[in-house]
Amino acid sequence: MRAYVLRRLGQFLPVLLGIALVTFAIVRSAPGDPAALMVDVQLLSEEELRRFRDELGLTGPWPLQFARIVGELATGRLTSFRTGEPVLAVIGQRLPVTGALIGGALALAVLAGIPLGVLAATRPYGWLDHALTVAALGGISVPNFWFGLILMWVFAGVLGVLPATGIGPTTALTYTVADMAPYFVLPTVVLALAIVPSIMRYVRSSMLDALGQDYVRTARGKGLSEGRVLYRHALRNALLPVVTVVGALLPILVGATAVIESVFAMPGLGRLVVEAAVNRDYPTILTLNFLTAAVVLLSNLAVDVLYVVLDPRIRLE
Amino acid sequence: MTGPGRRHALGPTPPPARGGPSEWRRFAVNRRAVAGLVLMLGLGLGALLAPVLSWYDPDQQRLTGVLEPPSARHPMGTDSFGRDVLSRTLWGGRVSQAIGVLSMAVSLLVGVLVGTLAGYCGGWTDSALMRLTELTITFPTLFLLITLVAVFGASLPLLVLAIGLTAWPITARVVRAEVLAQREREFVEAARALGAGGLRLVVRHVLPNVVPVIVVAATLRVAYVILVEAGLSYLGLGVPPPTASWGSMVADGREYLFRAWWVSFFPGLFVFLTVISYNLVGDGLRDAFDPRMPASR
Repeated sequence: MRAYVLRRLGQFLPVLLGIALVTFAIVRSAPGDPAALMVDVQLLSEEELRRFRDELGLTGPWPLQFARIVGELATGRLTSFRTGEPVLAVIGQRLPVTGALIGGALALAVLAGIPLGVLAATRPYGWLDHALTVAALGGISVPNFWFGLILMWVFAGVLGVLPATGIGPTTALTYTVADMAPYFVLPTVVLALAIVPSIMRYVRSSMLDALGQDYVRTARGKGLSEGRVLYRHALRNALLPVVTVVGALLPILVGATAVIESVFAMPGLGRLVVEAAVNRDYPTILTLNFLTAAVVLLSNLAVDVLYVVLDPRIRLE
Repeated sequence: MTGPGRRHALGPTPPPARGGPSEWRRFAVNRRAVAGLVLMLGLGLGALLAPVLSWYDPDQQRLTGVLEPPSARHPMGTDSFGRDVLSRTLWGGRVSQAIGVLSMAVSLLVGVLVGTLAGYCGGWTDSALMRLTELTITFPTLFLLITLVAVFGASLPLLVLAIGLTAWPITARVVRAEVLAQREREFVEAARALGAGGLRLVVRHVLPNVVPVIVVAATLRVAYVILVEAGLSYLGLGVPPPTASWGSMVADGREYLFRAWWVSFFPGLFVFLTVISYNLVGDGLRDAFDPRMPASR
C-alpha cells in the first residue's frame, strides 16, 4: 500500500512538469509580444523595452525561461503580468468560491444520483427506468450556460426569490456566509445537473450487478423485506464502485466552473482562467493549469486509495 | 420481437452478422432512437437549407425594431440590433454543427488510431498509450481549450483541431477494449494461421468488427463536442463575430435576459435539441448493436 502510494506520487511529478511544459509551449509559441499588450512599445526606447521584457522573464533561450518560470512557481514568487500581484495570493482569494461551488455540487449530485439510480434498478426496463434513462440523456444534453440563464430568468427575474449574479449583496460592505448562501443556490444546481446523470446511470448498473449476486438471493430467501434487501444488502455493496466515478467526474466539474462562474458573475478560479487567457496573463494561466492538474491528479490518487481501503478484496501490487 | 431467451440447442449462439438487418430492426422499434434520428436529420437539414429557409439576412440590423417579442413576422423575435433571431439561429446552426462534425472526425481519427494500436500491439505500446489517454481524461481540458483559443485567437480550423484533439480518449478506450476482444476470436486466429499479419490482419479482419463500436462512439462524440463548442463560444472564445454561433447568440442575449428572454432562449434550445438528438441516436445504436440487451421501446 505504502509502496503503491509512493510509486504513484513518483509518477506525479514528471506528469506535472509535462503539463507545465505543454502550457508553457502554448503560451510562448503564440503570435504577438505580451509586452506589447501592456505598454505602448513605440513609446519606449530599445533599452527600456529590453529591461521591461527582462523583468517579465521574456528574454533568453526558452529552456531557461521555462526553468525560471517553474522555479518562481515552486517558490510562489510568480506575479501576474496584469496586476503585479502574486499569482498564488489571487488564487487564494478566489479558491473559496470555486471550492464551495464544487463541494456543493458534488454533495448535491451524490444525494440526488444515488436514490435515482436505485429507483431505476428496482424495475429494470420498466416504465420508470425508461423515463429516467430519457431524463438522464436530457440532463447530459443541456448546455449548462443556457440552463443557468433559464434558472436565473425564472428564479431571479420572474419569481424574484433568488439573486441573479454575484456572491453577496452589493449594498452592504460586509456580509456573512448566510447572506452569501442564496447566491450559490442556482450555480450549484446547474453544476450538479451536469454529473447527476452519470452518477445515476453508474449506480443503476452497479445495483443491477449486486442484485444478481448470491448474497441477495440468500437475503431474499431468508424472507427479508424488499426494502431491506435493496438498501441494507445490495446498495451497500453497489456503492463501492461509485466512489471511483466521483473521481472521474471532478475534471468535468472543474471545467464547468469556467462557464458557470461567468454566467453568474462569480469571482472564482474558473472565471480567473477566462480572464487570464483573454488578457494573456501567462504567469496566471500557467499557475492555474498547473495547480488544477495537480489537484485533480491528487484527488484521483486519493479515490484509488480510498477504494482499496473500502474494499479489502482489491489488491494493489 | 425475439426474446433474449431463444438459444440454439447445440453450442453457443453464433453472433448475428454485424450491420445486418436485425440491428436495423432493433433500432427501428426503439421509439426514442427514431425520434432522435428524425430530430437529428431535421436540424441538419435546417442548417444545410439555412439560405433558403431564413426569411431575413441574419446580419441585417434594423434599429427601429430591436428586442421585438416573437410574432408572426419574427417567430423567435429580434435581438438587440433588430436582427431576426430565427434566421440567425438557422445560420448559427451551420457553424455549430459543422464544428461538431469536423471535430468529431478529428477525435475519431486519433481515438481509433490510439485504441487500435494499444489494443493490437499490447505490451509496452499499450501501457504508454493508455497512460496518455488516462492523463488526457484526468486533465480539465476545458481550461486547456480556453488557453489555446484565447492565446492563438479563435478561428474555425483551430477550434476544430483543439476540440478534436482533446475529445479522443473515450473513443480510444472503447476501441481498445473491442480490439482486444476481437483479437482473440477464432477467425482472427485462423487468418493469422493462414499467414495474414500485421496491418492486413488489423484492417481486413479486426477493424470491420469494431465498426459498430466506432459508429456509437462517433455519434455520442458529436453531442459532446457541440456542447464544448457552444460553451467556448458562450465565453466569447468561439468563431469570431459577426458570424452567428449558438453559444455566442445566447451570450448576446444575457444582458437583456429579463426584458427579452427570447434572444438567449431559442439559440440555446437548438443546442439542447441538437445534442439530445445525437445522444438519443447514439444510445439507440448502442442498444441495437448489443444483442444481450432486450429491445428498447
